[in-house]
Amino acid sequence: MKQQDNRAWLLLLPACAVMAFVGLVPLVTVLNFSFHDIFTLDSMHWVGSEWYESIITSPAFHASLARSLLFSALVLGVQLPLGIAVALILVRAGRLGLLLLLLVAVPLVVPWNMIPIMWLSLVNPETGLAGRAMAALGLAFDYKFTAWHTWVLLVVMDTWHWLGLVVILAYAGLSGIPPAYHQAAAIDGASRWAVFRYIELPRIMGALFIVILLRFVDSFMIYTEAFAINAGGPNGATTFLSLALGEEIKGFSYGSAAAHAMVYFLIVVTVVRIFVTVTDRHARSAQGGTP
Amino acid sequence: MIRRVLTALALVLLAGFILMPLTQTILLSFTATLPHDGLREGQFSLINYRNIFATPALVDSLRNSLIYVLLNVALCLAAALPAAYAFARFRFVGDRHFLFLMLAFRVTPPVVLSLPIFILFAQVGLVNSPVGIALVHCLFNLPIAIWILESFIRAVPREFDETAFLDGYSLPRFFLRHLIPAIAPGIGVAAFFCFVFSWVEVVFARILTVTDGKPITMAINALFSFQTDMGLVMAMTVFSLLPGLAMIWFVRNHIARGFVIRT
Repeated sequence: MKQQDNRAWLLLLPACAVMAFVGLVPLVTVLNFSFHDIFTLDSMHWVGSEWYESIITSPAFHASLARSLLFSALVLGVQLPLGIAVALILVRAGRLGLLLLLLVAVPLVVPWNMIPIMWLSLVNPETGLAGRAMAALGLAFDYKFTAWHTWVLLVVMDTWHWLGLVVILAYAGLSGIPPAYHQAAAIDGASRWAVFRYIELPRIMGALFIVILLRFVDSFMIYTEAFAINAGGPNGATTFLSLALGEEIKGFSYGSAAAHAMVYFLIVVTVVRIFVTVTDRHARSAQGGTP
Repeated sequence: MIRRVLTALALVLLAGFILMPLTQTILLSFTATLPHDGLREGQFSLINYRNIFATPALVDSLRNSLIYVLLNVALCLAAALPAAYAFARFRFVGDRHFLFLMLAFRVTPPVVLSLPIFILFAQVGLVNSPVGIALVHCLFNLPIAIWILESFIRAVPREFDETAFLDGYSLPRFFLRHLIPAIAPGIGVAAFFCFVFSWVEVVFARILTVTDGKPITMAINALFSFQTDMGLVMAMTVFSLLPGLAMIWFVRNHIARGFVIRT
């Protein structure tokens, strides 16, 4: 059992100092900006909650919120099952599995602005491998002007980028399962699904919560990759929340940009709060109700 | 039998999917994409790699990136180790709230904080400096480092600490002499994630380098112009991958451990 000792806060001081400087102070500044109309940083005047009211009622905000939610849903819907399936195969594949695990981790270390550059040159119809293959098959892939092609490219690219995270964390949970569990299941004649549902899934539940959380916030706020692919186009069809915010900042509309930023922050923190509550409840019921 | 064929097929497809963009990148990096030095377009050549070292801005950017990333790793580990120890060994007022706050900062989108961070850092002279980027990357790396180190410290039995303290070790000396060697794989994993997340980050690295200290990512962006030398871009991209690949290789036996979130 851990002992109660409030002097432990002394050990947190370095971390607190850093986080206050790069996190808390900027956050309070954004909050302050969001209640002002700002021409230059020396001439701001108080407008109260005006920015918030105009955001909440703006159809453009609703549309980009819906697009971001749809993108997150697609990303989670594709990457989560795919990542778990890959991890289930790799964990049985021995040394080859470990090698492939390292391979799927490679996209994670590519700088984010390089990823769209790589993919755009891949689907280039004249010089790209995939682009030429699709042209040869007679597929007209046009991510510039056909909205759903842009969406497909974004989801495939994001899957390429982040599948490794899902696989690594699921693999970690799966490789910790003692062989005796699987032997017992085989003796009982358990189906493949039952093995997954009652032996494997509980072991990767904790890791899956982290994956869902990280994948949700990162896809919900995707900026660098989406901007480079088509700058929110065609015709605003991929203008996600963060791309809309980027335009506000570039337009020097700081007050409104700050209010947008606060709204996004509140959405993300609310989701995280719900998530943590659900995770806690799950962990508690798994421990048999002890708090 | 059919099962094994299907599994093998799935693995081949997976490897192909991951390798395809990488293959494209590597192929282009060895191709002359602009007609210069008497080379035809599309001809195999090492010219792009030679051009990197002939361009001071590109060489500088490699150095700039390495400096702030290593600084960030050092900062995160130094601040995270005592914090992780506190969480692994003690209960205290507000501990759960602090962890939730860390989680909230980890998931805060950079674009939300980019403007005030630029203003704040401009006031204290941290723009265009690797120290500024190293500090701001702590925003998402410090929470991760704390989680990872905490789960590794928790695995060390408490008696280990008590023996050292009975031997007369002070807390800092205990950290250096006993704790760090005992959780070396954890330090490695934490350093890996900090390194990678700092290396790939773009939003903060862009706004904090206005005139000087450009990281490799921005140096590559600056290569785009009316007539972009894609081969050079791809050769730089290959370079930008190398440190990450080296890190993956170092932690290959531990990568799948120690990513446990607690709140």
